Amino acid sequence: MNEAGRPVVLVVDDEPRILSALMRALRREGYELLTAESPHEALRVAEEHAIDCVLSDHRMPGMTGLELLERIAARRPNAARLLFTGWNTEIPVSELTRLGVRRVLSKPWKDAELKQELRAAVSDAGAGHPS
Amino acid sequence: MTSDSVGWGKVGAAGPRILVAELDLGPRAFAPSIALGVISIGMPSYGRVTVETAASLSQCIDCARRVDYDLVVVDESLGAEAEEIVARLRSGAASLVVLQRTPSDAAALAWFRRGAAEVVLADRDLAALRHAAREQIERVRAARAGGASRDGVSAADGILRHLGSAVVLVDAAGEITFANPAAEQILGSSMIDLHGKPLRAFLAEQVGEIQLASALAGVEATPGIETRVRRGDGSFVPIALSCGPVFGTDGRPGGVVAAFRDLSDAQEWRAHVLQTEKMASIGQLAAGVAHEINNPMGFIHANLFQMTEYVADLRQIWNRAEVLLKAIDAEDPDTVRAAGADLSEVAAELDVGFVLQDLAKAIRESQEGSERIRHIVQDLRDFSHQDTGERVLADLNQCLDSTANIVWPMMKHIVVLSKNYGDLPPVPCYPMQIKQVFMNLLVNAYQAIEEAVAKRAHPGAIGTVTLTTSAHDGGVLVEIADTGTGIAPDHVDRIFDPFFTTKKVGAGTGLGLSTSFNIIRKHGGTMRVESALGRGTAFRIHLPLLGEEIGSEPR
Repeated sequence: MNEAGRPVVLVVDDEPRILSALMRALRREGYELLTAESPHEALRVAEEHAIDCVLSDHRMPGMTGLELLERIAARRPNAARLLFTGWNTEIPVSELTRLGVRRVLSKPWKDAELKQELRAAVSDAGAGHPS
Repeated sequence: MTSDSVGWGKVGAAGPRILVAELDLGPRAFAPSIALGVISIGMPSYGRVTVETAASLSQCIDCARRVDYDLVVVDESLGAEAEEIVARLRSGAASLVVLQRTPSDAAALAWFRRGAAEVVLADRDLAALRHAAREQIERVRAARAGGASRDGVSAADGILRHLGSAVVLVDAAGEITFANPAAEQILGSSMIDLHGKPLRAFLAEQVGEIQLASALAGVEATPGIETRVRRGDGSFVPIALSCGPVFGTDGRPGGVVAAFRDLSDAQEWRAHVLQTEKMASIGQLAAGVAHEINNPMGFIHANLFQMTEYVADLRQIWNRAEVLLKAIDAEDPDTVRAAGADLSEVAAELDVGFVLQDLAKAIRESQEGSERIRHIVQDLRDFSHQDTGERVLADLNQCLDSTANIVWPMMKHIVVLSKNYGDLPPVPCYPMQIKQVFMNLLVNAYQAIEEAVAKRAHPGAIGTVTLTTSAHDGGVLVEIADTGTGIAPDHVDRIFDPFFTTKKVGAGTGLGLSTSFNIIRKHGGTMRVESALGRGTAFRIHLPLLGEEIGSEPR
């Protein structure tokens, strides 16, 4: 949560247009939205902000989304973790379970589903459930 | 021209056939053809002799086109035409005997030089001619019997006649002096017509001309190339051509031996294999490409949804505006004030300024996204095309870049692509085949890095693929280097072998590098590899700029 009591959501994708579209979709959802265009930038942002939820693309240069979620979890264990990808089959389910990834959303995503998942994730994280 | 057999009734199909080129002196003249009519008496084993006569060069050529003669007798009294007949027929299978009318050693020597097998001085009853004719027929027949050839020359004759490959000899001026039957077939003309024609006239492409010109200039051991011949009827035949110089006794280049093979069948098969391979690599890339299309699809899709919401917002504004307009029409100040307040309230609530701005942005970004999809599809379509049968001048930087674009989505999560493109002159090539080579090397580079990355323990490890191009030594150099696993030293020598692979079963055909190697070699280029285990591999391709060499001295 930020000072205004709004949940902080970090969105990570190496594709700036995706970030732009996500910001657009989530504009009226009442979050403080943070974006990062690379896993390394995401780690920096997660270091500086108390994030409630991270939504990351999987296939990115330098580090997979799964690796990123693992590293963010080490710093922000309570942040809910969501992954989205255009390439579902490449992610081993055992890894998803191990890292407590709530959900893998596929691209292109459905707006309603995305909002719903985020709401649920943020409320669980806010309630202090360990993820 | 006559084709009657002189005084011998029915022609024995297997009997010796003689053509006599002589002046038509009328029925009672004692012509060489009459004298030859009786030679079979001394050689019964050969069956009946057929003697035909021709009174001019053109008749002679016509006859020679129709019939395979064992012997052609040329009467010197035909003058300049006699010389031409000998020149045109010298490389055929028939033995040439010249009948000399006035004794002259110098003239006889000149006839031998022109290609006569024997020169006989006309005596009273032409007995010497009959004797020489018998000898020559025996020699030719023996040579035709194949294994029974008596000397090296006739063995060579037999080999050339029956060789599947075409062999053409040209003189120092580049004009054809000999063509074996396979060459006649490929060039679509008989030896008689080919004689004296420049071989260059049949070579449809510059690379072939250069090959010939180098050999004419005495350059030894130019590597064979693939090119096409243009036949008299305008059709093309793909060939593998190699030319070697022939040196005269003075050590100076005196002509060229050109050997070539018809590649029509081989090429069709190879085109098929190439296309299959290419489609297979597209299959391999499909997942990456799908991902690359999915990203713009994802945001276009989301943007469209959001844009519908924005339109709904704007509609709300417009509804308020209509109410306001009606109130203004009604000239009711209270209603106008209320409607105006309502409009500004909704506009502020919906943040209409932002909506308008962001709507424009969403449209712009979506347009850009659809443009990206168009590009990806275009690159794929370009790549799946087949070459036309002709070399074209291509920009290799563009070929490399568009191929890298297709592979990029597959590799971008673990690869940094570094491009050092130099200024390149256009290269005459088959661009689709060159792209296939680039594709094979890029996929290999990616797989080598993937394997290397998998071995490293820490996440975030990536590799680099470096693409370097430069103009170089009358050619173009393209290097594709990776920081992957490298190739084991005992494998380096085998990587270009067909079916050699270290990949898992099903992960590779083992044909990628051997196909690539052949494509480059076919372009007259070279492909070399340098690799260090654990450090990476670099493939260097050198392609010649054949187009530039044609104007300069071929040495």
